[in-house]
Amino acid sequence: MHELGITENIISIVLKHGEKEDAKKITKITLKIGELTQVVGDCIQFYFDQLSKDTIAENAELVIEYVPIKVRCADCGSEKEASNYDFTCPSCGAICTEFTAGREFLVDDIEVE
Amino acid sequence: MKVDVLENILSVNEKLAEENRELFDKKKIFVINLMASPGAGKTSFILKTIAGIKDKFKVAVIEGDVASQVDAEKIKAHGIPSVQINTGGACHLEANMIKNALKHLDLDNVDVLVIENVGNLVCPADFKLGEDLKVLILSIPEGDDKPLKYPLMFAETDVLILNKIDLLELSDFDQDRVKDVTYKLNPDLKTFKLSCKSDQGIKEWVDWLIGRIDEAI
Repeated sequence: MHELGITENIISIVLKHGEKEDAKKITKITLKIGELTQVVGDCIQFYFDQLSKDTIAENAELVIEYVPIKVRCADCGSEKEASNYDFTCPSCGAICTEFTAGREFLVDDIEVE
Repeated sequence: MKVDVLENILSVNEKLAEENRELFDKKKIFVINLMASPGAGKTSFILKTIAGIKDKFKVAVIEGDVASQVDAEKIKAHGIPSVQINTGGACHLEANMIKNALKHLDLDNVDVLVIENVGNLVCPADFKLGEDLKVLILSIPEGDDKPLKYPLMFAETDVLILNKIDLLELSDFDQDRVKDVTYKLNPDLKTFKLSCKSDQGIKEWVDWLIGRIDEAI
């Protein structure tokens, strides 16, 4: 949700970094989005297409790398990918309380000309 | 040419939340972010909580709603300083809104700040405000499947209040189901069952809260 505001932030970040590099064009933007953030990639693409018009980010390829939720068991140290919010430890049955992946929400890198 | 960016997309809100946090620490203010669906009983719960702690602590409230002054006026009618934020459409409060609202409070005379978030089980979970404690209310009429449907909110909260417990007899609400699901999402979750109408369970909540506040400030 809030993909409009989120996309505004993304554009602001990439333009800032593009301008620092004196870029004429931003050709590719890679985002890392963890599953825990509940952000919908299609909505970001939709808003990006609108908001990037007349900027150096217009027509940039938007690549979204989704990061699955990974948890670690504090009791036995086992790690697993937690699909469907199932945090039960596969080894000892305790509930894993440590998130080792899945909260990422960043602009990873851009490609410029 | 590839350029590393590695910048958090919500970094602006997180930075402002940290600034709020620094101000709260400096002024020794304990801050509660109260979240729930519309109608779960947030404002009534705030009034009961204030009644229980006001002899020990000076309380102020920030109210968040899309529109109207209804909630802030209810709080003010009890003599408690309150600021109403109207988000004009935003479905959650963000750190910058809190930062602006704080300008309208005399923070040197506040020990406990309760922030009543916009009624919503989805979005508030993503936006830090600088709080000490996240409290989520689930009321009996809403049903026992909410932790399954809104996992992030139930995973993120520190305290779960099961409100309107006086209505249990009239519903099929399965408390064990909520306990099982919330334990799997959040084993450290502290749960209180209460009714703001009958006062059942209020004392246990207030006593625990006073202990938490005393530890913190």
